[in-house]
Amino acid sequence: MIKIINVSKWFGTHRVLNNINEEIHQGQVVVICGPSGSGKSTLLKSLNGLEPFQEGDIVVDGVSLKDPSTNLMQLRQKMGMVFQRFELYPHLKVIDNITIAPIKVKNIPKKQAEEKAVQLLERVGIPEQAQKYPGNLSGGQQQRVAIARALAMEPEIMLFDEPTSALDPEMIKEVLDVMIDLAKSGMTMAVVTHEMGFAREVADEIIFMDEGQIIERGTDKSFFSDPKTERAKDFLSKILI
Amino acid sequence: MLSYNFNWSVIWTEPYGGWMLQGIWTTISLGFISWCIALTLGIIIGTMRITPWKPIRFLATAYTEFFRDIPLLVQLFFWYFAAPSILPGFIERFLYRELPNFEFWVVVVGLSLYTSSRVAEQVRAGMQSIPTDQYYAALSTGFTHLQTYRYIIIPLAVRIMIPPLTTECLTVFKNTSLAMTVGVLETTFMSQQIEAYTFRGIEATTAASLAYMVITLMVVLIMGLIEKRLAVPGLITRRR
Amino acid sequence: MGAFDWTVIIKNMPFFMKGLLTTFELALVAISGGLFFGMLVGMARLSHIKLIYYPATIFVNFFRSLPLLLVIFWFYFLVPIIAGRPLGDFVSASVAFVVFEAAYFAEIVRAGIQSISKGQEQAAYSTGFTYAQTMRYIILPQAMRNMVPSLITQTVVVFQDTSLAYVIGLKEFLRSASIVDAREMKSLEIYAFIGLVYFIFCFVMSRFSKKLEAKRGAAK
Repeated sequence: MIKIINVSKWFGTHRVLNNINEEIHQGQVVVICGPSGSGKSTLLKSLNGLEPFQEGDIVVDGVSLKDPSTNLMQLRQKMGMVFQRFELYPHLKVIDNITIAPIKVKNIPKKQAEEKAVQLLERVGIPEQAQKYPGNLSGGQQQRVAIARALAMEPEIMLFDEPTSALDPEMIKEVLDVMIDLAKSGMTMAVVTHEMGFAREVADEIIFMDEGQIIERGTDKSFFSDPKTERAKDFLSKILI
Repeated sequence: MLSYNFNWSVIWTEPYGGWMLQGIWTTISLGFISWCIALTLGIIIGTMRITPWKPIRFLATAYTEFFRDIPLLVQLFFWYFAAPSILPGFIERFLYRELPNFEFWVVVVGLSLYTSSRVAEQVRAGMQSIPTDQYYAALSTGFTHLQTYRYIIIPLAVRIMIPPLTTECLTVFKNTSLAMTVGVLETTFMSQQIEAYTFRGIEATTAASLAYMVITLMVVLIMGLIEKRLAVPGLITRRR
Repeated sequence: MGAFDWTVIIKNMPFFMKGLLTTFELALVAISGGLFFGMLVGMARLSHIKLIYYPATIFVNFFRSLPLLLVIFWFYFLVPIIAGRPLGDFVSASVAFVVFEAAYFAEIVRAGIQSISKGQEQAAYSTGFTYAQTMRYIILPQAMRNMVPSLITQTVVVFQDTSLAYVIGLKEFLRSASIVDAREMKSLEIYAFIGLVYFIFCFVMSRFSKKLEAKRGAAK
């Protein structure tokens, strides 16, 4: 479904992505972890063309990102994204946050979009918050709205950029539960996270990145029980207390 | 200590009261016209400062630096005394002799250019205070760049920019007082003219101060109303 | 439009320099005096004691709602009355600038102190410091560092503001230019020249302030 071929990216002279190769198949859940500054968020954001890269190519459903004739707007509709700091639109009510893209991008009638939004809010467990503004919601609730907002475009793939790292501990679970539910329903997902519990439960593949490179990859079992590289061992010992 | 006898009646005795009112009206129209032009120019220049094209950014930055780093009074003198002399003689003569209210329009030009550079700076700061991920969030749902600005970035930036722009708007009205130096008959000019006729400097200056305070208060009230209308529950616009 | 005659600048250079010196003197008085009183007023603005808070707040809001030009006139009339004798343009201008700029510096100081988290204050109290010690050793040193860019920006503003002393006849830089202009009738050259001098000084200062800010941003 997604093919990453020899992708490299520089910020000035600093190489943030170094020859990345990876394939994500339909229905797969791929967890990307690694220390901060390892390039994992940059990699995720290059999947839907938010971060340009200089070398290599990314092919989504047979469409190349490097091809100048590719319509990025259309491509992005297939890929939902959830951000570290939620990035809800603070000037719009929860329901409008969810419906604005379907209405403006897909030209779906307002009523239909709102019905769908209510369903999605039920799915993420907060139907009663529809008429509130994001600023009045807790972090966990905001992130669940953000997931609903991404799902409203009916994406084929969901991208998560450290979705729980800005949350208070007691709110992490409510967001992870929604994500686990989503994974079990067969959604294709790429998730940048340090939540190893989540990885154990649903990940089909775990990628460990450092200094812009994929250092190690494996299934959840092999990665946790028997990491092959020193750096991965070191990293795991720091996050698994 | 105070061997000064106040005589407040000069403020409302004719013709002085009439002068004062005329001055206040000039102050308001001068400030209002300059503010509208400055706001328009400032938004354009401020937007130019955040485009991805280097030459445009450079031009806009040069513009803001130039008008911000020279005192307004020096700029006004330049536009009034120096600039017309570059023009052909007949235009120069027309400006000084024929054009009614030449002084007024000189100040409009000087004040709006000066203020637009300050507005541009606020526009730039407001736009840049929106985190990159907010743009990305909109783009990731399939919005075009234009839609991202239209539905997400601009509505947000406007709310962030209102408090600093209120301050700039107040500054415009206060800065209109500089117009007296080139002979515009606005509030400060009138108060000093009353002083010249009556030697009641403190009274006249106090009256002018009150007038400015009322104008300031009105601007604060109007901007406060706009801010309230646009207010979003739970959204704290950080800047003062 | 004839040819430009820049010799007028060179010929009158000593006179210009005298004006520029007065401008610098006035700016120095305005900045040091304004900053000193601004600190006091700024701290008073954060006081829990109403008798301190309200006068300081009224002072700040009053002067911030007035044009500087009017304040200059105010003290031009007021200073001789209070002193009982004329004290000259420079003194009355100095008083006006110190009072007026104090209101602006006060807001910078207040914002600077408020930028330090409440936890710092509580940590200081928890180790037994008094209010004065907390301010002196813990809050103000940190706040000062945060304030430096705004203070430099305000310095540039004050420097530009001194040109307004022109209106009461003080022979500062702008007034000296207009005197030369009245004699020589070379407006374009003269105003371009003094504009350039102001620009160079202000540009360098604002660049410096931006550098400092960027440095702090990087350090964080």
